[in-house]
Amino acid sequence: MIMFKLLWLIPALPFAGFIILALTGSRLTRTRTAVIGAGSAGLSMVITILTGIRFIGSPPPGNAYVQVLWTWMSVGGFRPEIAFRLDALSLAMITVVTAVGFLIHLYSSEFMAGDEGYSRFFAYMNLFVGSMLTLVLADNLLLLYLGWEGVGLCSYLLIGFWYKDTYNGYAARKAFVVTRIGDTAMGIGLFLLFTVLGTLQIQELMQRALQQWGSGNVMAGAAAALLLGGALGKSAQLPLQTWLPDAMAGPTPVSALIHAATMVTAGVYLIARTHVLFSLAPLVQAAVAVIGAVTLLIAGFSALTQSDIKRVLAYSTISQIGYMFLALGVGAWSAAIFHFMTHAFFKALLFLGAGVVILGLHNEHNMFKMGGLRKQLPLTFWTFLIGAASLSALPLVTAGYYSKDLILYSAWASEAGSPLLWAAGLAGALLTALYTFRMVFLVFFGEEKTRVERKPGMQIKIPLIILAVLSIIGGFVETPASLGGLHIFTKFMYTALPPVVNLPLPATGEFILEIEAALAPPIGIFIAYLFFLYRPRYTGRLASTPSGSALHRFWFSGWGFDWIYDRIIVRPFLWFARIDKNDFLDLPYLGTIWAGKGVNRLLVHTQTGKVRWYAVGIVIGAILALSAMVFL
Amino acid sequence: MGADDLLALLPLLVIAAASVVVMLAVAFYRKHMLTVQLTLGGLAIAFISLFAVASVVPRKVTPLIIMDSYALFYMGLIFAASFVVTILSYGYIEGREGRQDEYYILLLLATLGSAVLVSSNHFASFFLGLQILSISLYVLIAYFRVSELGNEAGIKYLILAASSASFLLFGMALVYAQLGTMEFSLIAQRSTAADMRSALLLAGLILITVGAGFKLAVAPFHMWTPDVYEGAPAPVSAFIATVSKGAMLALLLRYFTLVDIRTFGPLFPVFTAIAIASMFTGNLLALFQDNIKRILAYSSIAHLGYMLVAFLASGALAVAAVSYYLIAYFVAILGAFGVITLMSGKVKDADTLDEFRGLAGRRPWLSGIFTAMLLSLAGIPLTAGFIGKFYIVTAGVGSALWLLVLVLAVNSAISLVYYLRIVAALYARSLAEEAVAAPHLSLAGGIVMAVLTLLLVWLGVYPSPFIRMLQTTVARLI
Repeated sequence: MIMFKLLWLIPALPFAGFIILALTGSRLTRTRTAVIGAGSAGLSMVITILTGIRFIGSPPPGNAYVQVLWTWMSVGGFRPEIAFRLDALSLAMITVVTAVGFLIHLYSSEFMAGDEGYSRFFAYMNLFVGSMLTLVLADNLLLLYLGWEGVGLCSYLLIGFWYKDTYNGYAARKAFVVTRIGDTAMGIGLFLLFTVLGTLQIQELMQRALQQWGSGNVMAGAAAALLLGGALGKSAQLPLQTWLPDAMAGPTPVSALIHAATMVTAGVYLIARTHVLFSLAPLVQAAVAVIGAVTLLIAGFSALTQSDIKRVLAYSTISQIGYMFLALGVGAWSAAIFHFMTHAFFKALLFLGAGVVILGLHNEHNMFKMGGLRKQLPLTFWTFLIGAASLSALPLVTAGYYSKDLILYSAWASEAGSPLLWAAGLAGALLTALYTFRMVFLVFFGEEKTRVERKPGMQIKIPLIILAVLSIIGGFVETPASLGGLHIFTKFMYTALPPVVNLPLPATGEFILEIEAALAPPIGIFIAYLFFLYRPRYTGRLASTPSGSALHRFWFSGWGFDWIYDRIIVRPFLWFARIDKNDFLDLPYLGTIWAGKGVNRLLVHTQTGKVRWYAVGIVIGAILALSAMVFL
Repeated sequence: MGADDLLALLPLLVIAAASVVVMLAVAFYRKHMLTVQLTLGGLAIAFISLFAVASVVPRKVTPLIIMDSYALFYMGLIFAASFVVTILSYGYIEGREGRQDEYYILLLLATLGSAVLVSSNHFASFFLGLQILSISLYVLIAYFRVSELGNEAGIKYLILAASSASFLLFGMALVYAQLGTMEFSLIAQRSTAADMRSALLLAGLILITVGAGFKLAVAPFHMWTPDVYEGAPAPVSAFIATVSKGAMLALLLRYFTLVDIRTFGPLFPVFTAIAIASMFTGNLLALFQDNIKRILAYSSIAHLGYMLVAFLASGALAVAAVSYYLIAYFVAILGAFGVITLMSGKVKDADTLDEFRGLAGRRPWLSGIFTAMLLSLAGIPLTAGFIGKFYIVTAGVGSALWLLVLVLAVNSAISLVYYLRIVAALYARSLAEEAVAAPHLSLAGGIVMAVLTLLLVWLGVYPSPFIRMLQTTVARLI
């Protein structure tokens, strides 16, 4: 138990790091800043791992440990507690958050070395890690919401980290505003849940929901839909996905940590955490699956056309989270968390690799100006290749294969699944391999176009190597029936999440599904090879046809969502705001101001500074009070 | 009078003895540091003695004084506040011309008067405590005779306090005429249904309200406040705003939990009107004020208005709410005046907005602390002020005082204007760079400010231990 007692330290340490860095400002040396920044995340990781070992070795009763630190306040029935809950789900989350978080901090200590905002960067990063850990450990939705908003704030601060460039500020605001739409829905959802069920303590809430609401209940549907709104915003899913590609304006380690590995998957976590609600609302849950499927395809096509290496990865992130939503939608909660884990490894790896390339080429993001880098950056190349293979779900050897295969299988076989969802996932898998290896071929193969100016040092290489190893072996904890049928991860998850309900499927059927899932990536890689390495002019020819170029533009702009939103929301809104500047709704406020000023002007005359007048004031007061006695 | 009675009086005796000790020390060996140490020692011993006394309470010592956990709690608050004021005064006075040690004797006496007020159970002790407090304050306000504003403020306070005391006395006489007793608990017992409608009793109570209202500086008895706060030395202003007002409010709260305010026909609307008028007057007058001491004076008028909302709600929750709010208010006001004290030079207090413009650049910590105090006064979450206001609103809503709660909400919004005006000035660019060479900060002053800030955040983030403490002390009153 003693190990569990330290649970509070896991989020507290990064917060402490943030406070130290925020208070000392830039007075510390860079080395000390890095030691505090990365060290607090590292310590947190060590405690997480020790706690995890203890948790798996001898699970606490009920497979969950709740640490109540204090009660924030107690008013009527409202008793929000500062309490953390450790179970299989949160353990998986905090392990990934602290481990990937620490590696990225380590990477950043070198990556950001030349930046003037060095300590500011680490302060924000620590604040982010602390908030993210609060989010996933929170035992009630209010504390979760606090973490949720905390990570949103950090995301905003870090996207706009280089605030001197106005575009970055714009991207940061866009991210903040778009996610805010989702957050508002989520906030309303919390109010609804509290009003109807009378608690925000998650486990209690789920039980009451089960008792009071039957399946298909309207209230459950509304609550689930509102929470889904929050998840869509945070996780950049249709229709709130537009902020994530622009969020790439932040420093690359930020993109790796916040906009790939951890924060954007908070929506996935939220849905998994409140899965009972979603099970009670089959329609909403079906919507989750459909949104996931559509998003993964749309984002996949967009990734295919980008020229900025980070935007490819951003669209790919949207697409991969689409897979997680697909899994959640068909009730394969554990599969979603499994994919979250492997995705965190390989996507962080890819971003960090891309960071090395970008840094080496003087902040060059355009893949068409890169090429042949595999000789100049051998380690980066090999690790990037491993990440790309894992993202493409190359069969057998990569972690991404096992998690994606599990999702595809569930999409077909689960009660809530359907062949259509499965087909979308399969097409997405092909697409993933295609755009991933397009990126690999453009950046690392072909003719050398530039010289690398800056080679990575140890602090960059170590995280790359570790993440590359994790991107391979991270999947071996869960294998399909034909490959040994290991179920370590899902079995562990089943202590916190219900298992997926599969329809009976003949063994041959499962095998066929697996073959198909295994074939898609190599085919995609082959097409990428054909079009981008072997015969690049095919691509040019294809893109120069009128329909081809129109499609290219369409996909490149992210299916025109920004354009549509600009036309149907932003512009009408601005127009309406402009013509409605002086509407009557301002009157109460203006009236308050006006009345305040007026009364102030009158009252000022009472402050004459003359004692006789003050005495008269007292007497008048007394007379008024006494006359009240007469009249009342 | 047995040994237990004497023990029960220990806190009062300690403070009284401390004032004598300080007086003797000043007579024989005049040294500023020693005087301050003795004063602090006296206050600390008095504070510690509260815990010793806790074993013999509740106990009525003579008909005049009642020592119960409620009185002990408020004495603790008063001693702690006086302790802070003493430390602030040391830095403020050290290095000034002339001999200033008598200041601390007066401070101890004022503290004694306040302590008597919170433990009084009788009109006689009520008036006695009030006069010990007031007469010490007359002198304290005008203590630095070179300051014209200070002299003016002292005279004003003297005249007005004396006239309001006459209202109070007259009111007491009327109540006595009707009921034949001056003991609070007996007044409560004897006021029968017939009495409650008697003009004599009601008029008496209303006149007492006028006298108390002056001390609380609620509208329309508030007009002296800004002049006195501005003229008095900053630590004394802090003392008036906190200890003097808190003691009076504690007394009223004790009295009106014995005597249900709602049963006296016009008293309830009178208090409601006073609360509303105080909130509006205080906040509206502060709006365009450029003198920070005056702003804080107006702000304290409004805060008393807020507290009256909970006061009118009555019940256990109301007592806890008022007490919690009072703690939060003490911390924030002491902190705000503390910043002014620390910033003040030896000739004139730093109190204009211009003197604080751009402070963040020169003294980031101090302006951070000041900001925290102001935000707490405004009731922003994560500070003590928020929880306090939350409690007050809860108490008000619980008793369905919708009008008062609505007015409170509107006023909270209005008050933000002038609090944020100060904060904006702190973080604005300095008008003239060479303007003021900020005075050297004393270590003790810095520590006090740090402790107050920590307390402010602690009260705002983790209020439950305080609330539990309130439930075991003040809420027992019911």
